[in-house]
Amino acid sequence: MHIDYFRKEIQFKIVYYGPGLGGKTTNLEYLHANLNPDIRGELVSLKTKDERTLYFDFLQLKLGKIKNKIPRFHLYTIPGQIHYSYSRQIILRGADAVVFVADSQPVRMDENLETLADLEKKLILHKYSLDNFPWVLQYNKRDLADSMSIETMQSKLNFLNVPYHQAVAVNGKGVFETLRTAIELLINKI
Amino acid sequence: MLRNSNDTLNGKRIVFSEATYYKIIKILAELKNRLQAQATIFADMNGYPIAYDLKVEDVDIIELTALAAGTFSATSEMAKLIKEKNRFRFIYHEGESRNIYMCHVSKEYLIIVLFDKSVAMGMVRILTHNTVEKLQKILDELSLEYEKTSQFLDVEFKSLLGKELDKYFGLK
Ligand SMILES: Nc1nc2c(ncn2[C@@H]2O[C@H](COP(=O)(O)OP(=O)(O)O)[C@@H](O)[C@H]2O)c(=O)[nH]1
Ligand SMILES: [Mg+2]
Repeated sequence: MHIDYFRKEIQFKIVYYGPGLGGKTTNLEYLHANLNPDIRGELVSLKTKDERTLYFDFLQLKLGKIKNKIPRFHLYTIPGQIHYSYSRQIILRGADAVVFVADSQPVRMDENLETLADLEKKLILHKYSLDNFPWVLQYNKRDLADSMSIETMQSKLNFLNVPYHQAVAVNGKGVFETLRTAIELLINKI
Repeated sequence: MLRNSNDTLNGKRIVFSEATYYKIIKILAELKNRLQAQATIFADMNGYPIAYDLKVEDVDIIELTALAAGTFSATSEMAKLIKEKNRFRFIYHEGESRNIYMCHVSKEYLIIVLFDKSVAMGMVRILTHNTVEKLQKILDELSLEYEKTSQFLDVEFKSLLGKELDKYFGLK
């Protein structure tokens, strides 16, 4: 969180974490495409084919004045690939909440678990941990025929009983709900 | 909220007082004017712009700063790969008509200078370096204060914010 007392702005950082190809970028793309352009910026998307790869996506939301203050939310996605570990750590810096986008396909469960363990490791580097940090789970790709049952996903990933949403990020199902929950958690933490 | 340990101390964190803020703005304006720069930005490594002075209207400072902080993270990784003990001191991007020069102020802060092709790079380096020293001096003198967040964000603000979000998100 950053407070700009002079412009009367309060800025929050929310990081979308999760295994590569789980749907993090798709969440931001859906938000960008479906939010009123008055309250969102451009989607700064750094895909790997770009000549200067910077390894993250960024989208800002800027609401109108509330009680004379302007709330802003900065949404980031992290790169899933293992060799960008240090980038992930730095993108996580200053985060106020995390959305963990899990992939519902059975073949992706190991990677969900590895990435969650990686998140815990990175939080500890920042002197936090999963049980005292605001985060929400998103079970994505619920549309796929072979997706695991919610009970299975819950028992494997949600050992801390955090809020969760089922999602189909490609068509937007659960995308706004997930972000709304993340914001609720971070606001209540203040 | 995640912060690096040297950013917080016993629950205190760096808060820029109004006086400090104007001191920083003045330093940034001076650099901007001497270089005829398009923009000078003082930002933190989390990607937030803290103070800036602009001549341009067509650049989104929030996005530029997020990318600048991201660039530092990427190049820090490169520094590590080539076994550099420290991060690269500055990053420079040359464009068709505009250039960007970015430089560490401290572990937590950076400065971004956006300037025209016509300005000599040597000047930019010298004057930016000089500005960095001034900013470092200010940072050294900062006292840590408790952040007055709860006062900034009261219960009513939180509930109004929730309502706004539900409206824009099409929820409830
Ligand atoms: N079937 C299905 N595919 C999805 C869903 N969400 C994302 N995808 C696809 O999964 C792939 C990876 O998504 P992306 O957002 O790039 O993943 P990221 O690596 O986490 O950013 C893309 O081809 C998306 O179209 C979903 O809910 N259902
Ligand atoms: Mg992605």
